[in-house]
Amino acid sequence: MMDLQKQYQELLEKYLENLDEKNLYFAQQFSRKFIEQEIAPEDVVSLHKDAVMNIFPELRNEVATTHDFLIEMMIHYGLALREHQSLIKKREELHMEMEVAANVQEKLMNATRPNVDGLDIGYVSEAAKAMSGDYIYFAEHGRKNLSVAVADVIGKGIPAALCMSMIKFGMDSIDENESVPSEVLKIINRIVEKSVDNSMFISMYYGMYNVENQHFTYASAGHEPALFYCAKTKSFEQLDAKGLLLGVKREVEYEECQVHLHSGDFVAIMTDGVTEIRTEDGFLDSAIIEQLLFEVRDQSAQQMADYLFKQLAQLQNFRLHDDFTVAIMKKR
Amino acid sequence: MNERSSVEIYTEWDVVAARQLGRDEAKSIGFGTVDQARITTAISELARNIYLYAGTGKIEIRRLHDGVKKGMMIISSDNGPGIPDVRKVMEDGFTTSGGLGAGMPGVQRLVDEFKIETEVGVGTTITAIKWLR
Amino acid sequence: MDLHVQQKEVRDVYQFKVVGEVDAFTAPKLKEQLHSIAHLKGVRAEIDVSEVEYMDSTGLGVFVGFYKTLQEQDGHVKVTGLNRRLYRLFEITGLDAIIDVEEAKDDE
Repeated sequence: MMDLQKQYQELLEKYLENLDEKNLYFAQQFSRKFIEQEIAPEDVVSLHKDAVMNIFPELRNEVATTHDFLIEMMIHYGLALREHQSLIKKREELHMEMEVAANVQEKLMNATRPNVDGLDIGYVSEAAKAMSGDYIYFAEHGRKNLSVAVADVIGKGIPAALCMSMIKFGMDSIDENESVPSEVLKIINRIVEKSVDNSMFISMYYGMYNVENQHFTYASAGHEPALFYCAKTKSFEQLDAKGLLLGVKREVEYEECQVHLHSGDFVAIMTDGVTEIRTEDGFLDSAIIEQLLFEVRDQSAQQMADYLFKQLAQLQNFRLHDDFTVAIMKKR
Repeated sequence: MNERSSVEIYTEWDVVAARQLGRDEAKSIGFGTVDQARITTAISELARNIYLYAGTGKIEIRRLHDGVKKGMMIISSDNGPGIPDVRKVMEDGFTTSGGLGAGMPGVQRLVDEFKIETEVGVGTTITAIKWLR
Repeated sequence: MDLHVQQKEVRDVYQFKVVGEVDAFTAPKLKEQLHSIAHLKGVRAEIDVSEVEYMDSTGLGVFVGFYKTLQEQDGHVKVTGLNRRLYRLFEITGLDAIIDVEEAKDDE
């Protein structure tokens, strides 16, 4: 501190001699030293006061007093600065924790693309923030059945991600060989209803493809309807099924519907991060999704999913506002 | 050997009286201008917290002579509602975000030693020490 | 974007008028306002959303939470003035089957 005091006074004296820009530049460099050594603003004022009183011993005492007044005022500034520094450090810690959590989540969710005769499967699932509240799940049942689930937890970030882990364990506990889509949703609903907060809810679309008869059977718990493309008529149809969101009511019945997949037909299941895209000019018309998928209908399911994601991300300037998940199942 | 003096806090003006007492003591112990200002600000925050959250309480100042070291102890005590979650109160950004001043972390930064004892429904005692360097 | 909630009581029915956008930022405000009456037994509440331009899933969550809380206390919720877009949201989520909803009368 004594050292700084001397240096500061010399600097000030030099400046007073020449009133030049060079010494002001030195002063700026010098202020870095203050910050590095965590010198509080009130100490800086105190240094200045002592320097001024040393350089001009003839100054009236009132000048020193005005500096004391300023010192009093600076105490809070100093505190605010130190709090700010400590908050920045805390933010870094949180950021690191978040990264670890995101990795854990990725491992946990790790969806694997199954191999089913006659069906080409592709998907994209991207989080808007570090952690995702979307969930995608595939399971094979003895090469005879394939099941796919796409779920969306309300909200984003950590709370949604935590909630999603629960869904994952719920799904793992179900013996899907025995269950049809409406049954699966009924069971998951009971699990969610028992364990979530009142304003937390989840939508889920659940489908099952039967390799033998090429039927796609589906049920929805308050989820966006899937899109079905019929290659023969070159037209799209919404696969809607009545059903309440998961976690709102204990006992819920889910409607179950079926569609037959012919060669070239595909089903796209999406979350609202895909269908509810908002740009500066308002909402995108949902027809754009059909149009984009139609453009690449002859490519592989994965290429289609990638294309849809790329195009829609571009429309939002690559800033996702919501978690984005699409799963495409295409009949070869 | 300890010498003590205190100010009872009933109104906002008593916050000023507590500051005055603290400053006079700090000056006579030999603290420099900047440390005087720090001590006074700490007392000010503690007294204001009593006034705002407990209604009434007391700020006590003790001079400390610990061998070669000299210093000052500030004891803020009240029989107010107590602090249910001390960890939260000691967190940065908790009080300041609500515009309530420096808060407890601020007081802690202004002094060398800081201790907080509180029980819900019984009251709060905060002890802060500043040593003369 | 801002959100305003007006509240009045008319013949034992708590009427709320919501104006603005209900999203992740404004939803807590709506939640707080609605929940000021949520502890009451057998409450009848009516929420007018005819001047809600936009609502996302967080906003919908507030309605679900409110419904569930009132349900536990034998209360009743009615949501009125839903535009086409909001009505679709209630339909897709299946909420139209459990919450009393009413579409806006003159839908532009």
